[in-house]
Amino acid sequence: MPHNTERLGELLDSLVPVLVERLHETGLGEIEIERDGAIVRVRAEDLGAPVASAPASAAPRGGVPAAAASAPTAADERRHPVRSTAVGFVKLAPDIHVGGKVTKGSLVAIVDVLGVAVEVRADHAGIVAKLRCATGDPVEYGQELFLLESVGEGKL
Amino acid sequence: MIKRVLIANRGEIALRILRACRQLGIEAVVAYSEADRESRAVLVADEAICIGPADAKRSYLSAPAVISAALATGCDAIHPGYGFLSENASFAEAAAAHGLTFIGPSADVLERFESKAEVRALLAKHGLPTIPGSDGVVADEAAAAKAAAKIGYPVILKASAGGGGRGMRVIQSADDLTQLFSLCTQEAQAAFGDGSLYIEKYLVDTHHVEVQIAVDKSGTALHFGERDCSVQRRHQKLVEESPSTALTPKVREEFLARAAKAIGAAGYRNLGTLEFLVGPDGKPYFIEINCRIQVEHPVTEMVTGVDLVALQIRLAAGELMPMTQAEVERRGHAIEFRLTAEDPVHEFRPQAGEITTFRSPSGPWVRFDSHLYAGYEVPPYYDSLLAKLIVWGNTREEAIARSRAALREVEIGGVETTRDFFLGLLETPSFLNGTATTGMLDAIGTADILATAPKARA
Repeated sequence: MPHNTERLGELLDSLVPVLVERLHETGLGEIEIERDGAIVRVRAEDLGAPVASAPASAAPRGGVPAAAASAPTAADERRHPVRSTAVGFVKLAPDIHVGGKVTKGSLVAIVDVLGVAVEVRADHAGIVAKLRCATGDPVEYGQELFLLESVGEGKL
Repeated sequence: MIKRVLIANRGEIALRILRACRQLGIEAVVAYSEADRESRAVLVADEAICIGPADAKRSYLSAPAVISAALATGCDAIHPGYGFLSENASFAEAAAAHGLTFIGPSADVLERFESKAEVRALLAKHGLPTIPGSDGVVADEAAAAKAAAKIGYPVILKASAGGGGRGMRVIQSADDLTQLFSLCTQEAQAAFGDGSLYIEKYLVDTHHVEVQIAVDKSGTALHFGERDCSVQRRHQKLVEESPSTALTPKVREEFLARAAKAIGAAGYRNLGTLEFLVGPDGKPYFIEINCRIQVEHPVTEMVTGVDLVALQIRLAAGELMPMTQAEVERRGHAIEFRLTAEDPVHEFRPQAGEITTFRSPSGPWVRFDSHLYAGYEVPPYYDSLLAKLIVWGNTREEAIARSRAALREVEIGGVETTRDFFLGLLETPSFLNGTATTGMLDAIGTADILATAPKARA
């Protein structure tokens, strides 16, 4: 995909200050946003130099949204998408809102499959960084429900 | 009225159903497993939904996952394709209970036509000749031995719940029966969840001939001619054609009319196929029914001009038969070749992997139903069908000549395929003169057929 440096520059100028401010507000370690096929990621430990990854290729039809196309970083390893374990209608647990705390193994959502509740449990402890669905939404198998950011156990 | 269909299948048939839906102005959602995320049907569809992991038991064979996906995407009908849940009565019932139209026979019809042994008895009552066999399932080995002795060896032991060439075994003698009966029961139990078996006379040198039928809700039953599927390897069909070379014109018309009449009277509904064996005496004997659209349906579409998948959807929606028997005209000859990811040099060993090059044939009267594209990864989890080449001609000879030309245009790189085997088959005398029976490949050997294939350009 061609790299439009000029457009990328404009994008960074307009987005970064907002993202930095948001980062301070939420106390999150990292914020990621997608605009026009580019993914801009701002990380708390490196505020001066936001990482703009290469524009991601179009997500496959019907697929799970494509993850950032950049190489994994230490921050990536702290971010854990929580995915649906079934196809049906999702109901998020009460703690699942941005900033909500999750302990490892806790029940974070159920997927209603013809009246049967299929559990979704957290693989990691962390704080909800971004919601990708709302209670009542139809979800497919493997769909990202929300993004969890792991923090040191002491902070939870 | 059907507005939005969940296509609960994969591969070429998912694409075929998608095309029929679009033609009818019906929305379609393709249900897929994680292994099929990059499949052509998913890429081409306006909407698709992942229903589970690669393991079919948790995706394409999971009734709750499929029905839940239909509800989550706002569909009002499910097309099950072939295989998977297509003939599953409890699935059809569960779909109906959730307000979804099952595109196929209703649950009670599927149930009535579920047991092969019972269906044979039912259709015999409605005037179809059947192969001498046990009266329904055999209770135990003693009953089997008694039935087999009465019929005369060789016999074939079949799983009542089997199909698709699986769950059957030829028994040459009483000793064989003693040795194999409990093994067959166990195999049937493991494969189909039902160990019951029945026995039929094993006819040698038979043609496999099947009749495409359709019945509307009022019981109006039509036939769409027959297909000859005698070229088989281990009971798996490789080539299908219409009309059959095994029937004389006089036998054919009487036989087709009788099949349609019997199936309507027996209470069958929607699309189906009646399978027969035609012995050396030229007479068809009913063996079983398939309550679904079949892989080889395009052969019939090519000679009749009737879109069978569209017809199936319309009948499931409750429409009456949109044509009369007289309006079903059969013209010329059509042949289908199942190109599979199998290595004919090595016992048709299944292949998987990336398709590196892909060139489909074209030209007049050539149809190529395939879900492949260059770069597509053939997953190892499912059946090995890659493409169906269907060729039409005014005569069988013309269809064969066009088939040779079309097959030579096919290029599928990255996996071994059955293409060259078919090129060899098109030089094999027993196929060319229309006398090939279901035992042909065992008699000639696939290696000899392969050896007669014209060498491809180096």
